[in-house]
Amino acid sequence: MSSQGNKGVSGTSAGVAGATVAAVLGQMAHAQGSDRIRVGMLGCGGRGNGAIQNCLDADPGVEIIALADLFESQAKGTRDRFMKNEKYKDRIKVNDDHIFSGFDCHEKIAKCEAELLLMATAPAFRGRQLMAAIKAGKHVFTEKPVGTDVAGCKEVMEASRLAKEKNLAIVAGTQRRHQAGYVETMKRIHDGAIGELVGGQCYWYGDGIWFHGVPEKVQMSELEWQVYNWYHFTWLSGDQICEQHIHNIDVMNWCFNGPPAKFTAVGGRQWRSSNPEQVKTAKEVCGKFNNGSEENWEKYNGDIWDHIYAEFEYPNGARCLSFSGHSPGSGRNGEKIVGTKGSSDCNRGITGENAWSFQGGGIDPMVQEHKDLIASIRSGKPLNEGQRVAESTLTAIAARMAACTGRTFTWKWLMGASKLELVPRDVKPGPGLFHKIATGRDELV
Amino acid sequence: MVKRGNWTRRELLRSSAVAAGSLVFSGAAGPLAFAAGSDTIRVGVIGCGGRGSEAAKNCVDSSPGVKIVALADAFGDRPQGVKKSFGVPDDRCFVGLDAYKQVLALPDVNLVILATPPGFRPIHLAEAIKQGKNVFMEKPVCVCPAGYKMVVEASEQAQQKGLAIVTGTQRRHQGVYVEAMKRIHDGAIGNIVSAQCYWNMGGLWVNKRQPGQGDVDWQIRNWLYFTWLSGDHICEQHVHNLDVVNWAFKDAQPVEVHGLGGRQYRTGPEYGNIFDHFGVEYTYPNDVKTISMCRQIEGTADNVSERVVGTKGVWRSEPGVIEGEKPWRYEGPSVDPYVQEHTDLIKSIRDGKPLNEGKRIADSTLCAIMGRESAYSRIRFQRSWFLGRCTLNLLPAEDLKLSDARPVPAVAVPGQYQLPGWVQEGRRGKRGA
Repeated sequence: MSSQGNKGVSGTSAGVAGATVAAVLGQMAHAQGSDRIRVGMLGCGGRGNGAIQNCLDADPGVEIIALADLFESQAKGTRDRFMKNEKYKDRIKVNDDHIFSGFDCHEKIAKCEAELLLMATAPAFRGRQLMAAIKAGKHVFTEKPVGTDVAGCKEVMEASRLAKEKNLAIVAGTQRRHQAGYVETMKRIHDGAIGELVGGQCYWYGDGIWFHGVPEKVQMSELEWQVYNWYHFTWLSGDQICEQHIHNIDVMNWCFNGPPAKFTAVGGRQWRSSNPEQVKTAKEVCGKFNNGSEENWEKYNGDIWDHIYAEFEYPNGARCLSFSGHSPGSGRNGEKIVGTKGSSDCNRGITGENAWSFQGGGIDPMVQEHKDLIASIRSGKPLNEGQRVAESTLTAIAARMAACTGRTFTWKWLMGASKLELVPRDVKPGPGLFHKIATGRDELV
Repeated sequence: MVKRGNWTRRELLRSSAVAAGSLVFSGAAGPLAFAAGSDTIRVGVIGCGGRGSEAAKNCVDSSPGVKIVALADAFGDRPQGVKKSFGVPDDRCFVGLDAYKQVLALPDVNLVILATPPGFRPIHLAEAIKQGKNVFMEKPVCVCPAGYKMVVEASEQAQQKGLAIVTGTQRRHQGVYVEAMKRIHDGAIGNIVSAQCYWNMGGLWVNKRQPGQGDVDWQIRNWLYFTWLSGDHICEQHVHNLDVVNWAFKDAQPVEVHGLGGRQYRTGPEYGNIFDHFGVEYTYPNDVKTISMCRQIEGTADNVSERVVGTKGVWRSEPGVIEGEKPWRYEGPSVDPYVQEHTDLIKSIRDGKPLNEGKRIADSTLCAIMGRESAYSRIRFQRSWFLGRCTLNLLPAEDLKLSDARPVPAVAVPGQYQLPGWVQEGRRGKRGA
């Protein structure tokens, strides 16, 4: 990093460079006598494939030795894809007995000899998967979000405590925390460059998202199809606010060094239910699982909303806007934090009394996060972002709960009293798990 | 809709006493510009539903020498209560969608209360000013940009003719707000960097369709739930709070709007085509962004309030305090603002210094309309675009009849809803992150 000569490059990066030196000096806890890091991938969808590449790019010592997915075809397809790639094929060392599938594939992969597991399965299962990995002594890179309900996030918090005890690393795919522009800007915000924080906004508003039918060549049950089409079911994805907007919410929490104290929100599903392409696919799926009958197709159309407008009240009283959703032809993504002496986009600079702008530098943050993770493992000072990403995931979940119920509640209530648990402990192939679309005045659990 | 405060009997008596005091003074001293040869305010009430009846009472209570002398309503049964209360003769009670014209044509009427569904307001206001009447009009005052322009034009004419226009955004006449705003404008909280306003509540009355009832007849009876009549609840109720935020900014207007919204709980046909929730971001000059949230869903958390954040402090309307470098708490009298607004109006007429709130309430109503249209379409747009290029026109036809067929418009679906005038500039909405 320092070889790039950018003054703007973050303290984190400098720390990483230092850590790498330490690694060269041979303080490697991870694999005695070698700078090799054996990596297993859990969840071989789009993001999983991306994470493998990011991890391979981050460090030459990385070798992929195991792949796991609910569907064997996904895991094998991922191996084939990387084996065809000249750049990576020498570091793909996945034997057939290291291809794991099924709903218990996380338990199987936890038993293999990998030192580091990457996780990119549907967010619903992250808590139990992370717990299994930490218990088995693995370092973990986990994609965000890390849960879809309160119980799942608490399990992540528990696993993080355990990781700390066992000196294991947990890094999360909220890559802005590893992006030089954010890191540098945030340092200034925390040093008071914009004064006391009194407000802010964050947005992730996009065009829409894929909707998967049942693939021709794969045999799957209803429930497996739901997992394959996970984005569209709240119990699996946490809804868009949780799945995507968590990035921006995490930045707001970063500004305030912790989660909000109070939540109020409105939201709904105004166009997804009538989106013609999606309806067509949902009817086809219905037909496949019901002997050709499309009569009760609506439940196959998913239950997530398409917009949530939330207010976060932070412990110091500042009220911030969270603006998220999908609809055709829209795009908005970012953050703004407002203080008594200026404001900032949290990334490119600061306006006001202490105006400053980030001069560039740093590498792809989705690679940087793996570099930081690996360096921390090698230095014997493992990063642990588990508690933090669980808090940001819970912040998104809380906003969704406030919108779905029409209630205003506190973080204290959420942590102490909420019993929200959407994911069954025993998930197996079989009938789907369908919920009614939230009404805006559902019961607060 | 009427949001009544919890006024105690003592407070009401006190407010009457204050009103009486101000009357004695102005009645004794002031030349009356409004009706040569008489100091009686002769009031015509156009729209005799719940709010119209209340406004008539508020007006009479506000000052001596006020008389309700003529009534108009679309429906014959509506004016009966007001008629009885104020002894208005039969031949001065007019019925029908054009009854407003008959009241406005009466030469002895010198003040009119406009309290029909808001969709009619621009037409009624224009005619009232044309006929030389002073006006008290309920909020909101329009439901589309075409209506906004009519209200602004009528307000300019009122200015030229020396006529008063006061509107039912009663917070502008409420001590706890007036005193706070004075301080905010004097810099008590420094520069404004953020604000929030809310109208989150349960449900309101519904008039279900009766067998054989015509489209227009039913929709006017059940007007809250049709955008062309009420402007949707962001316009109909939340305009109060949006008006307060505008006020804090010294009536500078937001330059950009981006809204979300939908109809998630209240989905039955009796609820017409309006949404049950909105969340809108308004961007004021200097990139100051504000939160606006409104919801009408039975059994959800209530919050009707405003909060303004400055570099040196915070003002909260509930309970009326400034916190920060210059703490302050309102300790003035608690006067019924629904009466006070009439007191102020009538005093301004009698003093020959007519208040004119027309442009201001039109601007605040436009904020609500922009928020609604942005939420319907999910398009982020500039106020200048909306005023200059948006061709939305929901004004009722001149010859509208209760028996007319008028299917309920579809509930807006983002991605399908056409924001009139946007098509040729369609990609503007893409200007993202």
